Amino acid sequence: MSEKLRLPAEDSFASELKALAAGEGHRPPGWALSPRQVVTYLMGGKAADGTTITPKYVGDKRLIETAVATLATDRALLLLGVPGTAKSWVSEHLAAGVTGDSTLVIQCTAGTDENQIRYGWNYAQLLAHGPSREALVPTPLMRAMEGGKLCRFEELTRMGSDVQDTLITVLSEKMMPIPELNTAVYAQRGFNIIATANNRDKGVNELSSALKRRFNVVVLPLPDSAEEVVSIVVKRVGEMAQNLDLPAPKNVADEVARVVAIFRELRSGSTEDGKVALKSPSGGLSTAEAIAVMVGGISQATFFNDGKLTPETLASNMIGAVVKDPVQDAAVLGEYLETVLKKKRGFEGYYASLTDLI
Amino acid sequence: MAGDVHLFGIRHHGPGSARRLVEALDALQPVAMLIEGPADASDLLPMLASPEMVTPVALLTYAEDNPANASFFPFAAYSPEYQAACWAVRHGAALRFIDLPASDRLGASAADIAGEIAARSEEDPVSRDPIGALATAAGYDDGESWWSDVIEENPATGPVFAAVADAMAALRADEKAVSTREAAREAHMRIEIAKAAKECDGAVAVVCGAWHVPALAERRSLATDRELLKGRPKTKIKATWAPWTAPRLSRASGYGAGVVAPGWCAHLWETHDGDRVALWLAKVTRVLRDRGHFVSTASVIEAQRLGVALAALRERPSPGFEELRQAAIACLCNGERAMWNDIAAELLVGAGVGSIPSATPLAPLLEDLQRQQKATRLKPEALERPLTLDLRSESGLMRSTLLHRLNALDVPWGRLTDAGRSRGTFRENWQLRWEPEFAVRLVENLLYGSTIMEAAAGRLIEAMGKESELGALAGLVRNAMIADLPGATESGIAALETKAALTSDGQSLLDALPPMADILRYGEARAGTAQHLAALMPRIVVQAALALPYAARNLDVPAAAKLRGAILAGDAAIQLAQLETDVVAGWRAALTALLHDGQATRLIAGTAARLLYEAELLAADHTADLLARMLSPGTPIADAAGFFEGFFEGAGQRLIHDAALRGAVDGWLLSLDDDAFTASLPLFRRVFSALDRNERRRLMDALFARNSGGAKGYRLIADAAAIWQQHEARVIALLNAGAPR
Repeated sequence: MSEKLRLPAEDSFASELKALAAGEGHRPPGWALSPRQVVTYLMGGKAADGTTITPKYVGDKRLIETAVATLATDRALLLLGVPGTAKSWVSEHLAAGVTGDSTLVIQCTAGTDENQIRYGWNYAQLLAHGPSREALVPTPLMRAMEGGKLCRFEELTRMGSDVQDTLITVLSEKMMPIPELNTAVYAQRGFNIIATANNRDKGVNELSSALKRRFNVVVLPLPDSAEEVVSIVVKRVGEMAQNLDLPAPKNVADEVARVVAIFRELRSGSTEDGKVALKSPSGGLSTAEAIAVMVGGISQATFFNDGKLTPETLASNMIGAVVKDPVQDAAVLGEYLETVLKKKRGFEGYYASLTDLI
Repeated sequence: MAGDVHLFGIRHHGPGSARRLVEALDALQPVAMLIEGPADASDLLPMLASPEMVTPVALLTYAEDNPANASFFPFAAYSPEYQAACWAVRHGAALRFIDLPASDRLGASAADIAGEIAARSEEDPVSRDPIGALATAAGYDDGESWWSDVIEENPATGPVFAAVADAMAALRADEKAVSTREAAREAHMRIEIAKAAKECDGAVAVVCGAWHVPALAERRSLATDRELLKGRPKTKIKATWAPWTAPRLSRASGYGAGVVAPGWCAHLWETHDGDRVALWLAKVTRVLRDRGHFVSTASVIEAQRLGVALAALRERPSPGFEELRQAAIACLCNGERAMWNDIAAELLVGAGVGSIPSATPLAPLLEDLQRQQKATRLKPEALERPLTLDLRSESGLMRSTLLHRLNALDVPWGRLTDAGRSRGTFRENWQLRWEPEFAVRLVENLLYGSTIMEAAAGRLIEAMGKESELGALAGLVRNAMIADLPGATESGIAALETKAALTSDGQSLLDALPPMADILRYGEARAGTAQHLAALMPRIVVQAALALPYAARNLDVPAAAKLRGAILAGDAAIQLAQLETDVVAGWRAALTALLHDGQATRLIAGTAARLLYEAELLAADHTADLLARMLSPGTPIADAAGFFEGFFEGAGQRLIHDAALRGAVDGWLLSLDDDAFTASLPLFRRVFSALDRNERRRLMDALFARNSGGAKGYRLIADAAAIWQQHEARVIALLNAGAPR
């Protein structure tokens, strides 16, 4: 096991990528795999030599096909969705599958400026020798253009609109002018951009329509069925627990099903049978949060509870996920506990420990 | 055998197989054309090629004795059967249906059968969707796309029909025995084919569902086939053409052999290979723009590129429906599925309605309808359309009469949106929408008469005979009146008279009043006479007045609420009908009697008091006294609350303006003890919630004797400075103690 806390996708799944790359298939310029193989890499299946490919994304295959086809047309891809719908996860694996390199990332925040998108200057060089290519500090975007790779923008909408629009020329003309040197960087074949963005969150800047028009948009939905969520959570919890050297308790799957059931009811604002209307807490209660709750619970169980995963250990983690606003959400949760969970069979442990905690 | 039989296995409503079929027919030049369809409707088949026939249309067969037992065989322009029939007529080939006669099916099932496949799909998923099984074998998720790629969207002409036949043979090889009905159908088709082959000299083309091809190609002795057909049910049938609609061709409408997207099929049929994708995306763009979405031409180009890339990714020859849908969502709709769903109905389904030649042998009612549609210039359309009619004009009255008559026949082509109330009696606002099944419903009405007027009258008279409730009966009479059916109106009024004489139930007498008042009022806008009614209504009012005191006694809550509604509506009707003063006086006297009747349910008494008060028959001070008495502490709370509710519900505004009344209510409220007040709170809430915010504030103002100027809702307290310290300390303590954890 490596000492790094988390390896990039192309390293974690190096063997799968290698097995896929061994297969036949027409590859667009700069691509490590054919588009079909990329879809197989994301959705799971078998490589040509029989190696099993684990599914990376659980959901509609067509969405992934649209995403891959978009990248094959040199159009940029925008993955949109509410928090916790695997946007960044898909983007990382797409980059790993298409070019074998998912590390060219720009994390966009409100503080991101143009220098972090286009290029910066090495001021010592600049002062010593004047403006020159040597004095330029390339950004991931610039390196991706020069190397014909994929550049990922995380949370594109979080940076200011004026900075976002830096991308317009890059996307339409596939080049980035460097007026200071009277030159330009031209993108090599294979270059493209994958951006992820939240469409429903605080503090986001709406994309200008000029920029939005240059992206093909794929909206990643929340999983439809409880079974789908449970399978995603079980799978990811298993992987993460393994990464963190946590022994997975036996009853993980059962507890996941319960936690997911509670999350889904709270999020959707009605009970699973649709009979009781509920208030929803302010948090998103996404699949990602269910995963975090489970991992937190397993960690707590390992270190403080002799490895036994009990509702008590999970409840304290759930409180944190559900109650984002200490006044309103506590009231919402309290109401849910009394009206629904109290009578629900199999959830007695959760009812008791959650009631204790709020 | 003289004839040379060629079997063409097609897919119902498949534009691609229609195109391939026409090509194959052009090459073959058959002298006879046999099509899968009810053999006893063959006579009607050539009409399909008539220039006046506009698809979609459906062949309607129904049992003569029971028109409700009917079945439809829809045809669209892209249906191979339709194209085959047109080809045969164009080229002078003999044309026949060869499936089991409709009399067989209609005789067999009493239940209403919606579509051809619906009956066939009972047991086996493979025989129902053989294409689905093939598609799965070819690695497609969805049968539709497979057929599209291999047959429909295959630009190269080839021996496709042979390939389809082979595939079906392979599929049917591991099928278990078909149902008896299937076997009989196929036997019937085999016999017919053999007969045609014997009669004709030349090629015989057989157009049938792909599934049947292997069975029809089989050689079986005539005798065995005849054996299969023995003892099949039979009934007398009639057949005709009926206009159909595009939404009805879609599978979502419940038509089993329907297509997922009729709009897409029509597009495939209308366009040719090269520019199909671009034209489809242009259509999508046009619809999006019509809905006010901004779509640039550059995005359309990108959508096409993405569609092509997706098709390549899936290793398909050209972008199909699914690829273009996804491309349109990603490039034109900003990834928003909701935006696509918004345009999907218009784009994929469409709103086309077929029409049929005037010479079609119509069921007499349909014929009559068509004639009247022409006369009134009303065209059946599948989409909702508003229509405003002015009853003073002849054409308006004619249209209104037609729509009302159709409603009486349970053919709700038009729905009255505001019952003609809001804009006065001369206007009617209709919402029109034609559904294909209306044709069936019309045919069902044949029992009542052979024209729309006769049938409507007959149906209403029958309903009147069965009706036991006076109110509902009066409603039927009103319907007859506004549908201009004098015969039915007269017999209805006669029935009303007898019924009214026999009944002594106050509630149903009261229920009869509103429709009657409507009729009297309508009498002005319509030419019909209403003298009978003008005499009948006062009689019923008097009867109701007499019955009222008894009707008001010992009622439980729901019954009281019902009677209250009837009294309010009845009173409104009495005022509306402008009856003789002594009749009205009698009614008012009955209301007054309720006030003094100790046994009358309090809710009803309250209602009566309110009506009298509104009619100014109860002086304000008298009313205050009455309220004070009824609401006095000695009265049980439930009774007082009932009276209160009866008086005030829906009339809370009165309190704002009427000081004397307000004083009485205020006094009563203040006299309640805590428990009683709490118990009545929901009631007060119900009464006062009808007031809006502004009205409530005005009520408060009035109550606290404030004038309307100045800061509303606040009061200046003279010694505020002195008590403020104390208040502040209290508030701070509360905040500290009560902070939520």
